Amino acid sequence: MSRGYLVLFCCAVAAAQDARQIVAESLKRTRSQSQRYEGVLQVIDARGGTTEKRWRYDRIGAAGESKTILRFTAPAEVKDVAVLVVNHPDRPSEQWMWTPAIQRERRIAVQDRSTRFFGTGFSFEDLEERDVEHYDYQLVGEETFEGALCWKIRSQPKKSRSSQYTHTFTWMRKENYTLVQVEAYAGEKIARKLNWREWERIQGIWTARRLEVFDARRNTRTIMKLEKLDYNETMKDEDFTLQALRRGS
Amino acid sequence: MRSGLLCWMAAAAVFGQDFSQRGFLETRTVLYPQEARGDSARAAVESLLRWEASYKLTQGWKLFGSLDARTDSHRQFDREAHVDWKDRGLQRPALSLRRLSAQYHRGGFTAEFGKQFIRWGKADILNPTDRFAPRDYLSVVDTDVLAVPAARLSYERGGETVEAVWTPRFTPSRTPLIGQRWTVLPEGAEQFTLRDRGARFPGRSQFGARWSHVGRRHEHSVVFFDGFHNLPLFDFRFQQPTIEFQRFYPRLRLYGADAAVPLPWFTVKGEAAWFTSATRQADEYVLYVMQLERTSGEWVFVGGYAGEVVTQRRNPLGFAPDRGFTRAFLGRAAYTIDPRRSLAFEAAVRENGEGAWLKAEYSHQLGQHWRATASFTLIRGEAGDFLGQYRRNSHGLLGVRYSF
Repeated sequence: MSRGYLVLFCCAVAAAQDARQIVAESLKRTRSQSQRYEGVLQVIDARGGTTEKRWRYDRIGAAGESKTILRFTAPAEVKDVAVLVVNHPDRPSEQWMWTPAIQRERRIAVQDRSTRFFGTGFSFEDLEERDVEHYDYQLVGEETFEGALCWKIRSQPKKSRSSQYTHTFTWMRKENYTLVQVEAYAGEKIARKLNWREWERIQGIWTARRLEVFDARRNTRTIMKLEKLDYNETMKDEDFTLQALRRGS
Repeated sequence: MRSGLLCWMAAAAVFGQDFSQRGFLETRTVLYPQEARGDSARAAVESLLRWEASYKLTQGWKLFGSLDARTDSHRQFDREAHVDWKDRGLQRPALSLRRLSAQYHRGGFTAEFGKQFIRWGKADILNPTDRFAPRDYLSVVDTDVLAVPAARLSYERGGETVEAVWTPRFTPSRTPLIGQRWTVLPEGAEQFTLRDRGARFPGRSQFGARWSHVGRRHEHSVVFFDGFHNLPLFDFRFQQPTIEFQRFYPRLRLYGADAAVPLPWFTVKGEAAWFTSATRQADEYVLYVMQLERTSGEWVFVGGYAGEVVTQRRNPLGFAPDRGFTRAFLGRAAYTIDPRRSLAFEAAVRENGEGAWLKAEYSHQLGQHWRATASFTLIRGEAGDFLGQYRRNSHGLLGVRYSF
């Protein structure tokens, strides 16, 4: 997921060469042919109530052209609900949601992707990856974030792209090009704030084990912990299709 | 059958991560403010225990099973403790094998054999092309899809999928019980004795095929079905003071299509099917649905129109809720209040204003396992209208579900 956000919020164009180089280097350092993890999500609503969900995430392919399947494993009432995301470098991703209780899949239209994803702090748009060319970029400066010197980068979707976010600010650590914070804005107001923590080097890739999402519009927090994470496992393309979505894990 | 199934469950449970299960126990209380003719009961309680499991035998093979156990206060459910797999009884079985199938896949090829769910169509409220999905219509406005015994082969390549289904044994939709409120008899019927002579089930198998295309800007499917309608027609025999009736299922050859087109503001979905029949008592007609769908913030809106065009009218005596929900405006709005609570509103209003069905539902998740649901269904209309005939069946529902 952190990788998806990295692409979503930090893609640059040549107009801001420094920022683009930073992002390109960051992407290069996180590149892998596949990723698998089990996510544990705690959603804390505005009244302090907590719900927990678990999912299994599989990705095949590199950023921008990847396919992912995300399958809920708990709680029981959403178990086996699944989402297939097919990312494209030149256009918005295609997304389908499978609901086993009615044995049907439904395509998630682009205009519906600002919707919250199953009561979590994520929206459907947050599940997709986007290409470098989809954003304009600006290196705002350098700031210290939680004791580490970071680049602060502003990115803005190009007019040809539809997004619920008008612009985002990204903080990236200079020492290892890891993404530590994103603030995503809708107009003047912040919509979401994301923080990556508990960094660990897994199979040579710096990976955050914990992602916190603050949904400012709904005043909810989502904490996602990544467990059993592996990169570059052997996966088959045939397991990332609509038929595979219906078949189950 | 029973012992084999239990052995499989026990064996599968041993094999850890290749075995997956889930289920729920749900109790629902339905309260009717008004008495209905022939049914004075104003409250009914029903409980359902559902267990679903799957086991991955090898990389290609997977087994699926599901069992239901039910009981109720209103005698709509059978009381006999045998496991039913046929789904041909008038009552809902107390114990039923809901699904038992084996699935094989290799590359883009998938095959499934056994009792399974097959859902076709893209619309949300009415699906004319969904021909392998008979329903349980004991409570006409609150239905459950039944599985069918079938062999299903599908091949997917890129955005194209071809599917073929063969069912050796016919599964009918379950109709409301005589003597209960969801069967509305005509005025004066009480002076006759009704005698149910059962059903004549087709002996022939059924076949269907579907080609689906998923494109960059739209999705569509084309459907062919050759078999029988899962909703019955009735043969009546008058021998005063007795009326004997028997259900039979007309031949059906269906040609259909569906499509979904995401536009900048809405997703447009459409589905249509032409129902033709070699049975001389059966009507021939086209059912179609056009709907718009939009998500905005925490709201999901679906609104549309379901229509019917009769191409050959033969005035059959039958039970046809699919046609009963046509010539109507259909709508659904759902609102997620927060991760635990949601509201939903559904409506079907006949274009001539002679029948309307409206439902409001509130659902609240309690902890990780519990969910409470409260709903109210309002039905209004004229006695001669399919929806309107149930105008004394408006009801409230309270449900509690424990999922595991």
